[in-house]
Amino acid sequence: MKHRIRGAVLPALLTALLAVASNAAHADRLDDIKKAGVLRVAAFDSNPPFGFVDPKDNQIVGLDVDYARAVAKSLGVKLEVQPTNPANRIAFLKSGKVDLVFANFTITDERKKEVDFSTPYFASGTQFIAKKGTLKSPDQLNSLRIGADKGTTNEQQVRAKYPNATIVAYDDTPFAFAALRTGNVQAITQDGPKLVALLARVPDKANYEIPAFTISNDYEGVGVPKGEARLLDVVNATLTHIEADGEAAQIYDKWFGPKSAAPLPRLFKIGDPQKSS
Amino acid sequence: MHTWLEPKYFAWLEQGFVFTLALCVCTGLCATLSGFVLAIARTAQSAAIARAASLYVFVFRNSPLLVQLLFWYFGAAALLPSNWMTWLNTPHAATWGPVALRWPSFELFAGWIGLTCYTTAFVGEEFRAGMRGVSRAQEHAAAALGMGRYTTLRHVILPQALRIATPPLAGQYMNLVKNSSLTMAIGVAELSYMSRQVDTETFKTFQAFGIATAFYVLSIAVIEVALVVWQRTGSRALQRGRA
Repeated sequence: MKHRIRGAVLPALLTALLAVASNAAHADRLDDIKKAGVLRVAAFDSNPPFGFVDPKDNQIVGLDVDYARAVAKSLGVKLEVQPTNPANRIAFLKSGKVDLVFANFTITDERKKEVDFSTPYFASGTQFIAKKGTLKSPDQLNSLRIGADKGTTNEQQVRAKYPNATIVAYDDTPFAFAALRTGNVQAITQDGPKLVALLARVPDKANYEIPAFTISNDYEGVGVPKGEARLLDVVNATLTHIEADGEAAQIYDKWFGPKSAAPLPRLFKIGDPQKSS
Repeated sequence: MHTWLEPKYFAWLEQGFVFTLALCVCTGLCATLSGFVLAIARTAQSAAIARAASLYVFVFRNSPLLVQLLFWYFGAAALLPSNWMTWLNTPHAATWGPVALRWPSFELFAGWIGLTCYTTAFVGEEFRAGMRGVSRAQEHAAAALGMGRYTTLRHVILPQALRIATPPLAGQYMNLVKNSSLTMAIGVAELSYMSRQVDTETFKTFQAFGIATAFYVLSIAVIEVALVVWQRTGSRALQRGRA
């Protein structure tokens, strides 16, 4: 998480140069997409379950890709997925190589200067694993012993927000989890998707749960080129629409639902008010 | 580098230093007592006791301290009944007027057990080396004078053995202070743990670890001074008293 800002500076500078070079201030991207019949989208190719290469047919699949497909469908065009990594996302958008970015793209003020964001369609944050029934609400944290990984933002957030919680920091997550199993701490903290991945590998996972709350919030949205108001409107309208007709929840359940490899409760629905982190 | 640490972080480091000192003093006292018993046991006439004592030294001296600490904290904890663990992990306090005694956290408790068991093996061996440094002829002479085993130990062997063992014992106490930093792995909030925490919050790496180093060097220096003072005054007084 720490490297996000630093990682964005260099691509931003590079793309600033590119933008000057290819300043094709054409009429409207939405018309171009419809004319070409193809929506070009950048997605991760190695970040399951958001975007990764399916070993069966070598296609990029994942949560982000499914949301992108829904947008392409509502535009009535074909979807073309371009693999990207975190550092290239803004560059791809600004250089016009892709029309939209669906790549677990966290909305930050710095990035808003470079690109526009749709309404968030995914949220993640600092969450907890506890033995079933011990942790129901964030208020309880103040009276618990919490295991954390040394030096993570999660540890610092718990210390800042719950000053009466006893925090025991371990060298890494498996140690923290061992302390939870032996009862030395009552809960451990990490980013929600990481906890899910950890819990998936635990033999007695039925005894543990990830309580349905976060104490910090990162919101992920669709990256849209700056100034493409009509395209942005279509993306937002599509996201709102698929939430209303249940398709968004279906897509979420496919990757994070109770039967998936990494079950994570859906705490955020498209259109929900955003909490400040 | 240009700014010094805020008082809050300095207080964290001080708190860690107090933890380190408390842990080392408790461990040092217990390890000295049990190390002494261990040395006597190793020289006991009963073969069973002597063998049990040497097995103890074999196990605790031949495995890394970090592994032992992880064993006490994670391994032994898994073997204990769950209501014991609940008791150990909830705060307990007893108050007598202005004095409040708090039961330590399980991290501290496990760290104390682990360090004590490990240090006992080394302290015991230093005591035994001191006892073997006293010539066997003295033992025979004492026996010839009609002294029993206890009287011989008390008045002939131990006063000399203690003097021989003092410098290496001081070395073991210095090792103890440094070894105590390993308890950060099981979450004991001692000096090393706190310096790492200050580092991650402030990114002032030099200051955080620099101050911790200074605290360690200082406490070891105090042990060295104590050794010199003891050798100059204490041991002679002891000798005169016994003579």
